[in-house]
Amino acid sequence: MQETTTDLFIARAKAAAAQTHAVSDEEEAAREVDAIRAEKGAKGLAVGVVRAAKGIAQTGTCVVVADDEAQRLDTMLPEVSVILLDSSDILPDLPSAAPFLREQQTRGRASYVSFITGPSRTADIERVSAIGVHGPLELHIVLVGGRP
Amino acid sequence: MSYAREIEAALEDGFLRRALDKFAVEYRAGRDRVFAEVDERGLIRRIADVKDDAARRMEELYEKFRAEAEKRGAVVHRAKDAAEAREIIAQIARENDVHKIVKSKSMTAEEIGLNAYLESFGKSGESGMSGIEVDETDLGEWIVQLRHERPSHMVMPAIHLSRAQVADEFERATGRAQDREDVQKLVKTARTELRPRFHAADMGISGANFLIAETGAFAIVTNEGNGRLVNTLPRVHVALAGLDKLVPTLDDALTALQVLPRNATGQRITSYVTFIDGATACAKSPTGRKILHIVLLDNGRAAFARDPLFSQIYRCVRCGACANVCPVFRLVGGHRMGHVYVGAIGLVLTYLYHDRAAAKELCQNCVGCGACKDVCSGGIDLPRLIQEIRARFAKEDGEPVVSRLARYAMRKRATFHRLLKFMRFAQKPFAGKDGFVRHLPMALFGKQGFKSLPTLAKKPFRELWPSLCRPVEKPRFRIALFAGCALDFCLPHQLEAAMKVFEHFGVEVAFPMEQTCCGLPLVALGEKETALDVARQNIAAFAGGYDAIVTLCASCASHLKHWYAATLGAEAGAFSAKVTDFSSFAHDVLGLTERDFTRLDWKVAYHASCHLCRGLGVKEAPRALISAAAHYTPTPEEESCCGFGGSWSTKFPAISRELMHKKLDNACSDGATHLALDCPGCTIQLRGGADREKRAIQVVHVAEVLAAGLEAGGATPPATCR
Repeated sequence: MQETTTDLFIARAKAAAAQTHAVSDEEEAAREVDAIRAEKGAKGLAVGVVRAAKGIAQTGTCVVVADDEAQRLDTMLPEVSVILLDSSDILPDLPSAAPFLREQQTRGRASYVSFITGPSRTADIERVSAIGVHGPLELHIVLVGGRP
Repeated sequence: MSYAREIEAALEDGFLRRALDKFAVEYRAGRDRVFAEVDERGLIRRIADVKDDAARRMEELYEKFRAEAEKRGAVVHRAKDAAEAREIIAQIARENDVHKIVKSKSMTAEEIGLNAYLESFGKSGESGMSGIEVDETDLGEWIVQLRHERPSHMVMPAIHLSRAQVADEFERATGRAQDREDVQKLVKTARTELRPRFHAADMGISGANFLIAETGAFAIVTNEGNGRLVNTLPRVHVALAGLDKLVPTLDDALTALQVLPRNATGQRITSYVTFIDGATACAKSPTGRKILHIVLLDNGRAAFARDPLFSQIYRCVRCGACANVCPVFRLVGGHRMGHVYVGAIGLVLTYLYHDRAAAKELCQNCVGCGACKDVCSGGIDLPRLIQEIRARFAKEDGEPVVSRLARYAMRKRATFHRLLKFMRFAQKPFAGKDGFVRHLPMALFGKQGFKSLPTLAKKPFRELWPSLCRPVEKPRFRIALFAGCALDFCLPHQLEAAMKVFEHFGVEVAFPMEQTCCGLPLVALGEKETALDVARQNIAAFAGGYDAIVTLCASCASHLKHWYAATLGAEAGAFSAKVTDFSSFAHDVLGLTERDFTRLDWKVAYHASCHLCRGLGVKEAPRALISAAAHYTPTPEEESCCGFGGSWSTKFPAISRELMHKKLDNACSDGATHLALDCPGCTIQLRGGADREKRAIQVVHVAEVLAAGLEAGGATPPATCR
């Protein structure tokens, strides 16, 4: 079951133009993030790295709690956005995210939660799909535990 | 420019036509793909239930939302109308010394005319304000803002513009040369041009897709990433939304979120969905917290939430699907199919919230095909609402001559039928021998000349009946035939073909002579009382204990079944339950298959009449019957409207002609010899069009295909088929 949820997540994230990096543990994840930083940095691209609280398999979505403004901007301003997600945190579908959202919104302080699915995109000119408008041009999901 | 002139101009806009044609076909394919993964009908029903409940509890949800949002540091305002909402937002700007505003997409801001107000307010220098700059940051909204235009679509505001037109605007706005071919580079221009403005802005204005009462949170659904910058970088955030966006719980928002992007753009979800509850930390704010204001707009919403018919508009999630599938939108674009909001919901909202004068004209321009109702995220009966608005206008205006005539003529069946027979003599000077009127003086019919009109038959079916009525020994079924005016008086040969089928398969047929018009045209004219009169006459005429009441007219069938039952309740219950369209009767009840026919060598394309495929939900039966008796040839867009639309086509002949032309192009695209259908309205439109355009294809009823398939050999069309 766990395996199929992760597989579905990867397929749906890719369908939304995200790039996925399945790694076995945190240590490997850190190396993967460093590699992305080095590669993109060499091309003069800024890289922002955050951690997702949950994933949603049905849509290939990362759920990022972004109450902290600086961290939030890290998913918006850089050309390249990297999100770390633990594969054990992947929920099956959108409705199953309700309890988590409710928990965030009833902690007695304000919250800002983003569902992020793929890089920013538009089709506003002649319906031609263009990736990378005001947000990131690339989204990399480093899936921790996504590989045995 | 008059509305008629605007439509002509739109029809001549080659770019717009190609863009919307391509979109209509691709949208359908994309939508089907992503809905295949979920329970579409179940989700739509749940959205309808949730939003109906929310409309009933609007005040309670508003109070809850306000309390929860304010507990979390937001300020909630309620504006009774557009003027009040504009002033509330201007006051927020004034109090916070705002000079620069960035906006993300908000249809509600369009509804209240916010940009123009804030900009003019600044220029006049009132209240010591030195001027406010407002920049739209959604790409499409920015383009139409630069052009001083309205969005032509709720989700794709600039769909009416070409990349070259966009490049022109960007050159003017940036003072730099732009690539006129490469869309990616134009998008990059928007990114680099607008990025500094996000940083410089004092205030961000956004819409909201869901206002969640249980936690005071709101959700914003976007793709470009501008929405998150708008609500993060500036120190002040104003979220503006209608009261109709209130939902009780997070679960409700997440349910609707499974449909909204699928229906809007064929996406499983958009790139970003942001949930904000309360004022989070903000570096630029003097307090260290975001200055968060939520403005909820009433503008008539609370009143219409209590309206028994119109309250269903609160099921709308602003996905834009009703425009995406609308055959009229496809031809004329959003600027001619809406005012602020576009598409079928745009026509209704224009009437309810904005501009009655504009609505009066716009609401005439619905062909009534039902495509919008079929895809609506909340299952809103949009054609019904538009029809009701027309009826209200008709009532306000006093009766037009045609309504008075119709009421006089149709209340008594005998009078009505005498009138129809008299018209046969009146048409004589113009009638051809083959059943078409080709030479009506153009002065009389104006732009109706795109199709040949049918003549009234020499003898209506009701006069042929005595010679056709034969007793059947040991009948398998006893049915009553409901002819419908168009078949009875113009196309009786189609009923004769059906009689051959009935007789062959042991069906005893009764034809109650007291039957009259089903009443659908009367409802279209807003003549509800007369429509009820004729309904009662028909129910009485068909009181015998028949197994089924069969009709060859999908429009009559749909009206007899749904309108009668909905309007007369139990009085029509038994009658409506027995009404069956011909194809369903032949396929589902008689169970006809290929074993019952000698297969014809006809290549038969199929046109799915709106009232059959959407009105009655009958899709398989006619196709299976055609396959059984002949060679079914699938063609593109079988379920799109032929453009008949009753009296609509006389008001918008140019649009009707284009729809007909497209339909015939599609039907002829694979070399079909025949085009079969189940509706006399579509027959009149498409036979007349095929004749005028000299197309080789013959337009026939499914019953005629079956009758021909029963005749030995079956290589030649029946004598009645032109």
